Amino acid sequence: MQMKTYLIDDDDLGIYLTEQLLRAEGFSNCISTFQSATEALTTLVGEKKAAPPDVVFLDLNMPVMNGWEFLDALKPYQDELAGRCHIYILTSSLALSDMEKAKRYTLVAGLIHKPIDSEEIRAIHSRLAGEPNNGE
Amino acid sequence: MQKWDELPVNRRFEQSAAAVFMLNEDGNFRQCNARFTALLGLPTAQLAGTSFFQLLPPESAAYGRQCFERAAAGEMVHLETVLLGASPQKQSLHLFPLLADGQIRGVYGMASVGLEPPSAPLALQEREHQLSVIFDSIADVTFVLNVEPDGRYRFTFANKAFQRTTGLPPEKVIGSYVDAIIPEPSLSLVLAKYQEAVTTQKRVAWLETSDYPTGQVTGEVSVTPVLDEAGVCTQLVGVVHDLTDQKRTEEALRLSNERFQYVLRATTDAIYDWNIATDTIYWGEGLETSFGHQLEQNPSPFNIWLALVHPQDKDRVLNGKLWEVNHSTTTLWQDEYRFKQKNGSWAVVFDRGYIVRDATGKPERMIGSMQDITERKETEERQRLMADKLFKQNADLQQFAYIVSHNLRAPLANAIGYADLISRVEKDSPVFDESVKNLQTSMELLDEILTDVTSILSIRDKQGGYRPEPVALAAVCQQALLGLEEPLQESGGQIICDIPETLRVRGNRAYFHSIFHNLISNAIKYRSDERPLRIEIKAVDKPHEGTTITIADNGSGFNQKKAGEDVFQLYRRFHTDKRGRGIGLFLVKSHVESMGGQITVESRMNEGTRFILYFSHHADENLPD
Repeated sequence: MQMKTYLIDDDDLGIYLTEQLLRAEGFSNCISTFQSATEALTTLVGEKKAAPPDVVFLDLNMPVMNGWEFLDALKPYQDELAGRCHIYILTSSLALSDMEKAKRYTLVAGLIHKPIDSEEIRAIHSRLAGEPNNGE
Repeated sequence: MQKWDELPVNRRFEQSAAAVFMLNEDGNFRQCNARFTALLGLPTAQLAGTSFFQLLPPESAAYGRQCFERAAAGEMVHLETVLLGASPQKQSLHLFPLLADGQIRGVYGMASVGLEPPSAPLALQEREHQLSVIFDSIADVTFVLNVEPDGRYRFTFANKAFQRTTGLPPEKVIGSYVDAIIPEPSLSLVLAKYQEAVTTQKRVAWLETSDYPTGQVTGEVSVTPVLDEAGVCTQLVGVVHDLTDQKRTEEALRLSNERFQYVLRATTDAIYDWNIATDTIYWGEGLETSFGHQLEQNPSPFNIWLALVHPQDKDRVLNGKLWEVNHSTTTLWQDEYRFKQKNGSWAVVFDRGYIVRDATGKPERMIGSMQDITERKETEERQRLMADKLFKQNADLQQFAYIVSHNLRAPLANAIGYADLISRVEKDSPVFDESVKNLQTSMELLDEILTDVTSILSIRDKQGGYRPEPVALAAVCQQALLGLEEPLQESGGQIICDIPETLRVRGNRAYFHSIFHNLISNAIKYRSDERPLRIEIKAVDKPHEGTTITIADNGSGFNQKKAGEDVFQLYRRFHTDKRGRGIGLFLVKSHVESMGGQITVESRMNEGTRFILYFSHHADENLPD
């Protein structure tokens, strides 16, 4: 299963943890990690035509460009990415306001509280695998 | 020969200097004095019972009879005629009604030789007519009384005003005795006054209030004695000058003044009346009771008030007041300003004045009141400070909620995740070792966050018992630099410190140490790799303003437009390449503000950052409790 995955989080401990959890569940062998949202954005925009990521795990609280700003920057490509790129917000915040705000972005497929657990990984996997565009 | 009527012999009648006579209702002579018979050159006895009309020449007969009838009807009549038997000159005759027991019983006559040229009679008639018109048009009640024996007085004349005021018709009054017209208790009073006028032969005046059919009348009554040639008082001319309206106005004014006096006493406001033409102010007692000022003179010059207005308020208040008075048509002016009290302190007053203008709109006076609202203002200020404090506390609480929900949870979430991961990977795999290490790091980060929270709470706790002391800035700065010696040497940076040795700032020594430590270590941490680090620290004290401390570096800077006010917020970071917890600037700001100071920042990307701290000399006085 080659589910192309991005991990965006400024916290290196968080990135390592999520990557290992995904690997332990056999979620994907194709995982790119970014400690800066700006860097991730550049990469995504460059790859979007040929091979955009199937899944993006996005942290919210980051310096310079935070998760919301990243989502705002993606808006011009929204139609192009719809159905192809699924963004999951992965945050340590428990604030309900974030949940509400997330609903306003059509590219956001869900919000997960850190740490992500096995059940959540499996649910995402089966949901994406069920869609005709994904998986071989 | 007919005998004279049995009328009481009147010595005055006989002694009168004029030629006088009495006629009955038919015009026959009843009595005459010696002068009159002398005028006709006849013995007295011959006239008795004869007709007055026989004395008139044919051309005057009809007019003479007419005059007699008018006099018999109650009028005073004057005619000029030749009398048969007398000299050929015309005689001047005055005819009056003859009264007895309140009834007209005939006519009195009085004759004198006309000395006027032939045109005179007409002129005299004209004058008499004018007099009568004048009397009747006089608004004052006017009457004439005949003085009769036994202290009795009889009305012989009353003008139209008499009727208007008393409601009594002239035919009822004229010929009547005073005691038949004026009721007690007034009667006794007026009789005494009449007697006084007769005896003293001088005008007597008094105030009297009487009830008449037309209402209560207050008047000044005067009676003036009229003396005959022998110096005996035969008549009294009475005038009642109606003072009712004046009295009523005076009474209304007195009541209104009294009410005003009580209002002045009841209010603690300083009431004033500014006369714009004389530029003086008449002050009520409030100026002394509220503000303690005793005036040497009242009214006092306008400038005495102006000199007591606070210098910073003076121009605004004076210009506003003068503009309202001179350049607008409004009638109200109001303002708030500080006003000096006798004891030297400043009271906050609310001043509201009513502008009195003449018909053309020209201002004449301003009447107003100054209310001491110092207490109200102080309460408002206390409430404002309390609201500020609550607002700040609320913002702090929100910040805390944010910390708990996010920053405290971030390492905790990692710890939970690694604990989960450890249970699922091979014990001898590199991932297992890495996870154990990361679990430990996460726990340490969690502990650091808790330490931050504790130090923030300690600043907040100390604020209540904060006691400022003079802190030697230069010494504290040197101490902070000493603690940063190692990283500073590693960076190869240069520090230029320009703080006067003698400069003392009121505050807390430990807070200043923390401020210098955090700002300098930030400058070292975020230095630019493109140039050697240079930090300038400077402090300037201005005697009447305060102390300004600037800490500037030539480091990497940050995007100020994007960061805005967030730089001082807890756990906000602006660099991805350097590890930082985002608490330093938050602590600096907390320390500065807890000492009553202010902090601002200026920064440019790749140029550097400058922090400016300002401490007013009176800063700590404004700290909320």
